[in-house]
Amino acid sequence: MRHLWREIKFLLGQRASVWTIALLTCLAALSVGLGLQEVARQKAAISEVIALQKTDTAAIKTFATDAGDAAYYRFHPTWDPPSTLAFAALGQRDIAPSILRIRALALEGQIHENEAHNPELALPGRFDFAFVLIYLAPLVLIVLFYDLWSGEREAGRLASLQALPKARMRVWLPRIAVRFGLVSAVLVFVFWGGALISGAGLSETIAFTSLILTLVGFWTLIATLIAKGTGSSPTNAAVQATIWFVITLIGPAGSNLVINATTPIPDGAAIMRENREAVHDAWDVDRDATLQRFYKLYPEYATSPPMQRPFEWKWYYAFQHLGDQHVEPLSRAYRAGITERDARAGLVALALPPIAIQRGLHRIARTDMAAQSSYQDRIRAYHTRLRTYYYPYLFKAKPFTPADFDAAPAFEHPSGENVH
Amino acid sequence: MRRVCLIAWAELALMVRSRVALIGVIALLLLSTIAAATSYAHMAQERLGRIANQTETDALFEAQPARHPHRMVHYGSYVYRPIGTLAGFDPGIDPFSGTTLYLEGHRQNSATISAVRENSSLMRFGQLTPAFVLQTLAPLLLIFLGFSMITRERTRGSLRLLLSSGVTARDIILGKTLALGSVGLVAIAPAWLTLVLMAIVMPSEAGAAAMVGLGYGLYMLIWVVGIIATSALARSGQAALLVLIGIWCFIAVVAPRGAAELANRLEPLESRAATDLTIQAELRQLGDSHNPDDPFFAAFKARTLAHYGVTKVEDLPFNFRGAVSAEGEALTSRLFAMHFAELATTQRAQSNIVANLSIFSPALAVRRVSMAGAGTDLETHLRFLQQSEAHRFAMVQYLNGLHRNRLSLADDAARSKDPQAEKRTRIGATNWAKVPDFVFKPTSAADRLSAAITPILILALWLGATVILAGWSGRVLAGRAL
Repeated sequence: MRHLWREIKFLLGQRASVWTIALLTCLAALSVGLGLQEVARQKAAISEVIALQKTDTAAIKTFATDAGDAAYYRFHPTWDPPSTLAFAALGQRDIAPSILRIRALALEGQIHENEAHNPELALPGRFDFAFVLIYLAPLVLIVLFYDLWSGEREAGRLASLQALPKARMRVWLPRIAVRFGLVSAVLVFVFWGGALISGAGLSETIAFTSLILTLVGFWTLIATLIAKGTGSSPTNAAVQATIWFVITLIGPAGSNLVINATTPIPDGAAIMRENREAVHDAWDVDRDATLQRFYKLYPEYATSPPMQRPFEWKWYYAFQHLGDQHVEPLSRAYRAGITERDARAGLVALALPPIAIQRGLHRIARTDMAAQSSYQDRIRAYHTRLRTYYYPYLFKAKPFTPADFDAAPAFEHPSGENVH
Repeated sequence: MRRVCLIAWAELALMVRSRVALIGVIALLLLSTIAAATSYAHMAQERLGRIANQTETDALFEAQPARHPHRMVHYGSYVYRPIGTLAGFDPGIDPFSGTTLYLEGHRQNSATISAVRENSSLMRFGQLTPAFVLQTLAPLLLIFLGFSMITRERTRGSLRLLLSSGVTARDIILGKTLALGSVGLVAIAPAWLTLVLMAIVMPSEAGAAAMVGLGYGLYMLIWVVGIIATSALARSGQAALLVLIGIWCFIAVVAPRGAAELANRLEPLESRAATDLTIQAELRQLGDSHNPDDPFFAAFKARTLAHYGVTKVEDLPFNFRGAVSAEGEALTSRLFAMHFAELATTQRAQSNIVANLSIFSPALAVRRVSMAGAGTDLETHLRFLQQSEAHRFAMVQYLNGLHRNRLSLADDAARSKDPQAEKRTRIGATNWAKVPDFVFKPTSAADRLSAAITPILILALWLGATVILAGWSGRVLAGRAL
């Protein structure tokens, strides 16, 4: 304990160390503040849309008196609220929409919709806590570690320090522990502050904290190994910085190239177009054949009387669904390809621990690729509930009353964060 | 001058002898070559893919059978944002924005299918492009090779020796700058070569390529001079290295993200869903086509009847339903244009905030030159959106014109109930080919050049500041050595 206190005093006596730790504290606090603000903004945007949608729906209700019109004109909001830890690792939430309004029409033309973001701002990435942790904390550790041994050697003190009895326990371990401890403490306390404000659960906060400690531990290990070497102080600093930028900049960028080249995915634009072709071709082919294909999927409606007029809503919704069915294999392959790319990135991360930690942070904060695709899965499931809700009114001529308009299924978020 | 060259030569000889420096330079050359080759190949493939998609889409449109023109309004069309020749050098926003836009009646869709949503999260760590290598990696290599160039002379005592032998501090600064500058030249050479090749392939892009090359040249020079000045001012090699890594981290890593975050805060964007709903609400205020007694459409009807001197729509010389469609489309399009203008204004304001902040980071300035020159900046995307909307409106109104002039009102009104009327409302497929193809007019070379003037000036300002710093550091150096 005595040794630890001595080393803390030593460290805090060095201006460069104090400044870098103070800077890290400020940047971490700033990133948490910005993250909390961003999460609040996203939540407010979701509530705003749900409120606006209510007015829109009320207006549609006045003229959409049959099921076909209601299903055609009425948009239903779906949303993906930020988790309580999203503030610390915003992940993909800036480029994927957190609200998507959908209709009971073919889904493939709707589900790819994008948010109206400014791509120039998405390009550099977010300034969130994960950024401070993955990019900046290692640089702070370099500053604290690079001359731990070489500095003593260059000052001519190394031999006498090494000659001390139990030098390892009395000098080096306390020095390493103090540096690891200070950086960890700064990051963990700032993060806990944010987690407290955002009301994060205990288990996810602990999981997140352990990733923070693992990252600081990893870089402490690397920094110690380099610093213990025979290199001069500047050489050590340069070597550590090189390792950092190979792991955090070149490694991921290079791996991404390889992953994309080796994991081709179907052209998303072609899927959308193919879907449109399948939907619109229905206008020019035998209407009864279209209905028969639909009845194969939904035999319970096969008893519906044949079409009496060139246009009937039931036929319209039948071919909308058949259009989605037509591109189902392609669409599945598209999603599987993206998942596969992400899985391969997970393999790359095994070789680049900081990347694995970043992925872990995004996983816990539910802001990663998997979270995006599970939102899409929820949209798909909800879309199925929505269109099948209207089918009895369309195919079985079940009367559609204003109460039925109101009873259309509403989107529910599994976290229970349902805005009503 | 001879003394300056001798100093530079000695420094370079030392670098060649030191394996670490040589490996560093070779690694960077290798990386920039890989980056240039893969990025160029990837963007060329993207470009061909989008051209193929556009050709396919246009062919499909023309091949549609005889139909009611309003079916074609709903069938719609797709446009794919074309890619310029220089995009291989700096893809810029291309992977971060939707590239495909579905154009249909009554609706303005968002640009979808973007690389960032199709890639693993690794993409957000940075992409291996020539722009990334030059903006981020090359300065770090220059720092590693240059931080000790002058501190080393001092700690070894050779500095005093040099100064007492008649060499001035200015000679030393210039010589070392020349040495590090040659490394910078080697680092930038593959990029310049790529730009020259691109300019040869596409001579109309030569001006933009030259400007991008100039921007990166200035950027490298800022680093070279700044590193030497820091090395002259620092008390020790490690102090110089730490300060330089800190500056690099701020300029190349923290500032771009910080500036984007600030722009997001100061100029918040409305969500797309909220804008859509606002447009719907405004539309209901202006005119509700679902309401038979709506004042807007009632007034349109009265106006039209009066203009043709008839009392019922059946007596009009054209199909009134087609005219209503055209009028409704004009109404919604006005709102789309208004809200797009708001969106574009906000996004431009965001990008301007980042541009202004490039006073604090030359990396932001050079990125702006690079993206403007390559035609991969926000402006290109906004132009694409705007021109697509104009094309959408023209296409829909052409089809509404057919609806108005080629169909009879009686058939049109009965087509959902009467199969014979439905047949008569289908018009020939030859009409579809008459819709003009979408031709994207990218930002002109002159506009791109003028967009790059301010950031080039900012880079020149930075260079001026580092040169002044270097001059001052020479005096400090001379003073300290005595």
